[in-house]
Amino acid sequence: MSVKYFAGIDIGSTAIKIVLIDEAGNIVAHQTSPTGSQFHKNTLDSFHALLERTGTNKNNVAYITATGYGRKLFKEADEFVSEITANAAGARIIGKDCGTVRTIINIGGQDSKAIMLDDDGHVRNFAMNDKCAAGTGRFLEMTARNLGVKVDELGDLHLNAKGVPLTINSTCTVFAESEIISLLASGHEREEIIAGVQYSIAKRIVRLAKRIGIEDMVFFDGGPAMNKGLVAAMEDELLRNVIVPEIPQITTAIGAALIAKEAFLAEGGKVHA
Amino acid sequence: MKIERVERIKKTTAVHLAMEAKEALKKITEDFPDNPDTMGYFYSLLHKFYIQGEMPNDCSEVIGTMCIQVPEELIYASGARPVRICSGSYVYDQTGAEFMHAKSCSLVKATLGMLNIKNMPFKDSLSAIVVATTCDQKKKAASMLEDIGYKTYVLEMPSIKDSEEARVYWQSSVKNFAAALEDMSGNRITKKGLSEAVMKANRARAEFRRFNNLRKGAHNLIYGKDAFVVANGYFFDKIEHWTDALAKLNAELEQREAKGVCVANKHAPRILFTGSPAIFPNLKLPLLIEQSGGVIVADEMCSSSRLLYDPISFDEGNLYDMIPAVADRYLKPCTCPCFVKNDDRKRKLKEMAKEFGVDGVVYQAFSGCNPYEMEHKAIAKMLETEGVPMLYIETDYSPEDTGQLSTRVEAFMESIKNRKRSKLQRGIS
Repeated sequence: MSVKYFAGIDIGSTAIKIVLIDEAGNIVAHQTSPTGSQFHKNTLDSFHALLERTGTNKNNVAYITATGYGRKLFKEADEFVSEITANAAGARIIGKDCGTVRTIINIGGQDSKAIMLDDDGHVRNFAMNDKCAAGTGRFLEMTARNLGVKVDELGDLHLNAKGVPLTINSTCTVFAESEIISLLASGHEREEIIAGVQYSIAKRIVRLAKRIGIEDMVFFDGGPAMNKGLVAAMEDELLRNVIVPEIPQITTAIGAALIAKEAFLAEGGKVHA
Repeated sequence: MKIERVERIKKTTAVHLAMEAKEALKKITEDFPDNPDTMGYFYSLLHKFYIQGEMPNDCSEVIGTMCIQVPEELIYASGARPVRICSGSYVYDQTGAEFMHAKSCSLVKATLGMLNIKNMPFKDSLSAIVVATTCDQKKKAASMLEDIGYKTYVLEMPSIKDSEEARVYWQSSVKNFAAALEDMSGNRITKKGLSEAVMKANRARAEFRRFNNLRKGAHNLIYGKDAFVVANGYFFDKIEHWTDALAKLNAELEQREAKGVCVANKHAPRILFTGSPAIFPNLKLPLLIEQSGGVIVADEMCSSSRLLYDPISFDEGNLYDMIPAVADRYLKPCTCPCFVKNDDRKRKLKEMAKEFGVDGVVYQAFSGCNPYEMEHKAIAKMLETEGVPMLYIETDYSPEDTGQLSTRVEAFMESIKNRKRSKLQRGIS
């Protein structure tokens, strides 16, 4: 009998994240690509590219769990699960080496969430931003665009800020944009503006997390967690250190892959391990 | 405004409302298999009222009520039909935006929007509107309705319900209301008329209690979205017809129970829905819950179970006793968050969670609906000590947050399922 693999596909508003795990739950491969406007096609293309790159036969992928904003469009999946449950499942495993994860803070492309886990590592409570995209990855993209830098440069620029971060009062992305422009117009350094923006995001998310209560350990993931300046601001606002996984973007996809494996077993599937 | 323009607004809004209602009704009926046959009466009731714009069954005079605190028995006894005019329409929410600021409650805005456009199926028979002094927005709406040109009666309510002073005050308020109804209709409220009215309202409530009792069993005989449809029909239907139709539905549900027919499996999360009222067409959140695999088995809302719960009882059949008895039914058992102290609501929710075997509570608060927004933390705390998880959702009538809400609702259902599974596994090991 051939080896079985399980796939977790996280179709986010900004990026598609795919993780392949083996029967023992080890990560075999992962891939991140932009979501674009054709959710379904791009996901399928990315999935096939991953299989090709790793030389995996599609038939050996025993179970696929889709999660994220666009999950329902990926009909090839065996199961759908919300990104909150998937994120919890992923963070529980990845964070295990550092202790028991109790709080997850996730910043995505168009939403931000705080998730509280119970003793079993299941979702106990969660909070999510409302309709508007303040305090999300979109907010960072807007900032980078206005300052003429790349999103992945924001972290270093933040850490290079010499003075005190500037205060950004607006939490609305549209208003914050005009606030940033007027700060630039009055001659402020972009480093200080970036630091100010990231503090305003951190403050907003910590306020959201406080609604459900923050307990150690705090796990911080999602694409924006790659931004070291934002991590520093989060730690300041949370008054504690956070665990940031090696590849913060794929936690939810890992969780989905683990859920795929569990679902496969629950449905009577067998593995060698 | 020019008459031609007013007519065009009416026409366009009617089209928009019909579209909105059609979409909601389609979801309610087509997204779920196994709808009881006798629900057909209630589906067509909503279809007729919202899509065709017709009043079901004959009616000569309508008194619009903006709150369940308005004693409907007195309205029946005066010869009119009470119609609950609280609107659940996003179309009217938008047209009502000119009356209140953007952050105010969708329900009040929508009701004002609807009454301003004056296109309701009962518009020609509407003689007056009764507004109870509950929340600030409804109080202010009362004066706006007068400005629009409606005959508006303000029913004064105390802010505290457990003091003797409050009871006396409320009883006199209800007496004054009875007198005002007599003036408006030109009919005397007689002992006979009132006891008949009490009897028919009690019969309706008894039938709804029977319905709710059927939802207590582990069988999941009916979805909560249908319970909301049934209760919404009560807003405007002729009460005797509605009660008969519900009796038929109950009989069908009893047959289902005997045959073991259920709408969802026994592991489906059982949800208690509470907070700002669920009124058609805005059944956005209840539908998301049930589309995500949950079943709303009970609700604590003024649009359904709170509206149709307590009967009126009186010992002596004279008018002097009957009116205070009617008044008492409306004040004491009410669990509206507009009262200063509201331990009754906590107690009620706690009891319901137990009686209905509830796995989780979903708390809906309309943005701008202060009383419900402010009470949610106390309720969450109480439920936490009871070990019942609660999902708090702040939303309004607009459909634009449906995507985000569905993620939250699905995650809540998944967390309930995982919790149940862990419990089961612990039980085994």
